[in-house]
Amino acid sequence: MKLYEHEALESIYKKYKIPAPKFVFATEPNEKVREFIEKEPAVVIKSMVLVGKRGKAGAVKVVSDKAQAIDVFKDLASREVYGEKSIGALVEEKLDIKKEFYLSVTYSTKDRAPAIVFSEHGGMDVEEINPELIHTHVIKDVRSVYPYQIRNFLVGIKFSDPDLLRPLSELIVNVFNAFWKTEARLLEINPLVVAQVGDKKKLVAADAVVLLDDDASVSPAVRYGARGGMGRPLTQREQDAILIDQGDHRGKAGSYVELDGDVALMTFGGGGSTVTAETAIEAGLRIANLTDIGGNPPAEKMYKIARIILSKPGLKAVLVCGGTASNTRIDVTLGEGLAKALDDMKAEGKLDPNLVWVVRRSGPEYVKGLKMLHECFVRNGIRGDIYDSQLPITEAPLRLRELMVKHIGYKPEEIPG
Amino acid sequence: MKGPVYLNEKTGIVVIGATGREASQVIRESETLYPGIVKAGVTPGKGGSTELPVPVFDTLSQSIQDPKVGKSINTALIYVPPVSVLDAVMECLDGGIKVIYIITEHVPIRDSEIIYQEKIRRGAVIVGGTSLGCFVPSVGRIGAIGGKDPSIAFKAGGLVIISKSGGLTVTTAEMFRRRGWGTYCALAIGGDIISNTTYADVLHELKDDPNVKGVVMLGEPGGSYEEQAAELIQSGGFKKPVAAFISGRFQERMPEGVAFGHAGAIVERGMGKASDKIARLEAAGKKHPVKVAFYYHELVSAIESLGVPRDFEDSTTDHVKPLYSTIG
Repeated sequence: MKLYEHEALESIYKKYKIPAPKFVFATEPNEKVREFIEKEPAVVIKSMVLVGKRGKAGAVKVVSDKAQAIDVFKDLASREVYGEKSIGALVEEKLDIKKEFYLSVTYSTKDRAPAIVFSEHGGMDVEEINPELIHTHVIKDVRSVYPYQIRNFLVGIKFSDPDLLRPLSELIVNVFNAFWKTEARLLEINPLVVAQVGDKKKLVAADAVVLLDDDASVSPAVRYGARGGMGRPLTQREQDAILIDQGDHRGKAGSYVELDGDVALMTFGGGGSTVTAETAIEAGLRIANLTDIGGNPPAEKMYKIARIILSKPGLKAVLVCGGTASNTRIDVTLGEGLAKALDDMKAEGKLDPNLVWVVRRSGPEYVKGLKMLHECFVRNGIRGDIYDSQLPITEAPLRLRELMVKHIGYKPEEIPG
Repeated sequence: MKGPVYLNEKTGIVVIGATGREASQVIRESETLYPGIVKAGVTPGKGGSTELPVPVFDTLSQSIQDPKVGKSINTALIYVPPVSVLDAVMECLDGGIKVIYIITEHVPIRDSEIIYQEKIRRGAVIVGGTSLGCFVPSVGRIGAIGGKDPSIAFKAGGLVIISKSGGLTVTTAEMFRRRGWGTYCALAIGGDIISNTTYADVLHELKDDPNVKGVVMLGEPGGSYEEQAAELIQSGGFKKPVAAFISGRFQERMPEGVAFGHAGAIVERGMGKASDKIARLEAAGKKHPVKVAFYYHELVSAIESLGVPRDFEDSTTDHVKPLYSTIG
C-alpha cells in the first residue's frame, strides 16, 4: 500500500529521525496553513496524490509571492493529477538546495535481500539517471546494519563530499531502519538534498515515497485506511465485492477489479485467472473485470460475486474458467452458488438472455457440478458451451471468441504485436 | 535414492499447524494416497490428540524425540497463519530439519527475508511461502497439490514442472498427461517476492538428474527469478530442454499499480515485466534448447518440438467438443 507524502512525514520520518523540511498538510487553507505561509520567506506547495511525477504535471509549485500562496494552495489541494483527485495539499519550507541525491531502500530479488540504492545525481526520474551513476549496497545480514558499513560503501563508490560521510551514513541507516521496522517494500527519497542552512550544509529528505507490505504483521489498511490500487476511487461493485470476504475466511471470492470491456470473467485461482484474462485480451476480447476466486468458498460467496460480476451494464459474454481445482468444490461453487444467482436474476428480470457463455472447469465433484450448471442453463434459456479439463484452460477464451463472432457478430479488438 | 531432494523415498513429513482445516484434510488425503509419508503433526495445545491418522504433538521437539516416529522425520510442511510462519520455520531449523515447505500465503516480506537469510546460514532447503507443495508420482506428494484425486493430473514420467502458481502446476501436469507426457517432479515454488527456492535453484539442483527429460517453467511478472533461470541456462548451467510460459504481458497495457493474482506479480517501477522475462528466455533459446510459448496451451507443442519423448500415448484430440451445449 502506498502512503501519501504527508502520512510518511508524520508517521515515519519523525519516528525514525529522517530529517524533513518543516511542513503542514491540510485539505483547505486553514489558520495553520496561513500562519505557516506567513512565517516562511517562500514555500513549496504540493498536491497530495498517490501518483508519481507530480512535478511534471505542474502539481508542485514554489511560491514566494505570499499574495498568491492561498490561491495556489486552493488549486493544488483540489486538482486532478493524471486523473487522480488530490486529497489536500502539503506546504513545506523552501530549502536552499545545493545538491540533489537519490536514495531508496527496496528488496532486490537478484540478491534476495534489501538493497540500498544511492546516486549523487538525484532529483529526476531514476530511469533517466545514467545507470553507471547509480550504486547499490545489498544488506546481506539484516541483523547488523551499521553506519560504518555504509561509509565503506560510499568511499567505495568515490562519494565526492567527505564532510557528509558521517551524517549521510547515519541518515542512510535511519532510512534502512524505517524501511525494515515499518515493513515497507519501498522507501524512496528523491531528492535527498544538501541544503544550505546558515553557514552549514544539512541533509534533508525533500520527498517521501513509501510502499508498505500489504501482508505486514500489522496490516497497513488498518492504520491508514483501505485504498484502491487503480488510482481511482473504488466503484460501488468493487466495494460490494470487498464485503464478501469480510468476517468469513472460508475461501476467497471478493477480489474484483472493474475494467471498461464487455466480457465478464469469473475466473478461479491466482495463476489460472491470470492466464485466462491474459489469453482473453490477447485474443482481442474486451474484458469487463478481473477476479480471482479460490480456496473453496461456500455457495453464498460464489452467489454474491456472480451477481456483482453480472450486474455490470453492457456485458455481451461471460467466461467461467478455472483449472482443475485441488480443493474448491465445483458442485458447490458452480452447481449451487452460480446456478442460484442465475435463477434469481432470471426471476428478477435482471439476466440478459443475449449473453454468450463458455464454461471450463474441473476439480472435486466437477461431473456433478457441471451437470447442475447445464440444467440451470437449460431452465433459464442461457446460451453457451460447457467444458471440463479436456479442453486446455487457455483455449476457453478462444472458444468464447468463436461463439461471440458467430452468434452476436462480435468484432474482436486487434492487438498489436 | 529415488526422487529429488525436494521429495524422495526417504522423505518423512511433520506437519506444523496440523489440526487446522486445510492441514488436517491434507494429512487425511496423503494417508490415503501415500500411506505413511506423513509421520506426525504439531499443534501447540493439541498434543496427544487422536483426531488425525498420525500422532499429534505440542512441539516439534517432542515429535522428533518420539521413539516411534522421531527418527523418520526430515521434512516439515508449514500451515500456520502468516504471522506465525517465521516462528514455525525457526522451530524446524533449530530442530535440525533441512527440508521445509511453507504453504501459508501472505507471509510478511520482512519475515520471508529473515527466513531466507537463516536458510542460507544453515544450508537448508526451503520452498515457499505460498507453495502448494511438491508431487513426485513415483514417490509421493507433499501438500495439497493435486487434491483428492491427483491421478487426473499426475502420472510418472520425465517432466519437471516449476510454477509460482500452485493451481497452474496441477493444470499444466494435467494438460501434459492428456497429451502423453508424465511428471517426474512438480514443484509449486510460490510467487512471493523473497522466494526461498527459485527456478534457477531447482534447475541447478536437478541439472545432473537422469530422470529429467524436460522442464516446463511457468512464470509471472515481478522480481527477476525467471531472468535468473535464463541467465543460468545461458551460462551453460542447465542443458536440458526447457519450455516456458510467462503470464502477465497484459498487465503492461494496464494502469500502473494494478496488482492481480499473487503478491509478487506486481509490475513495479518498470522492473520484472513479463516482456523482459520473455526476451531473456528467448535470447537463451538462441543457443540452448529453450522455447517460450505465446499462448499457455502452446507449451505442449513447445515440449514436443524440443524433442522431449512422450512417456505414454496421447489420449486426446486436437478439437475437444463441449460436454454440454445450449448454443448452436
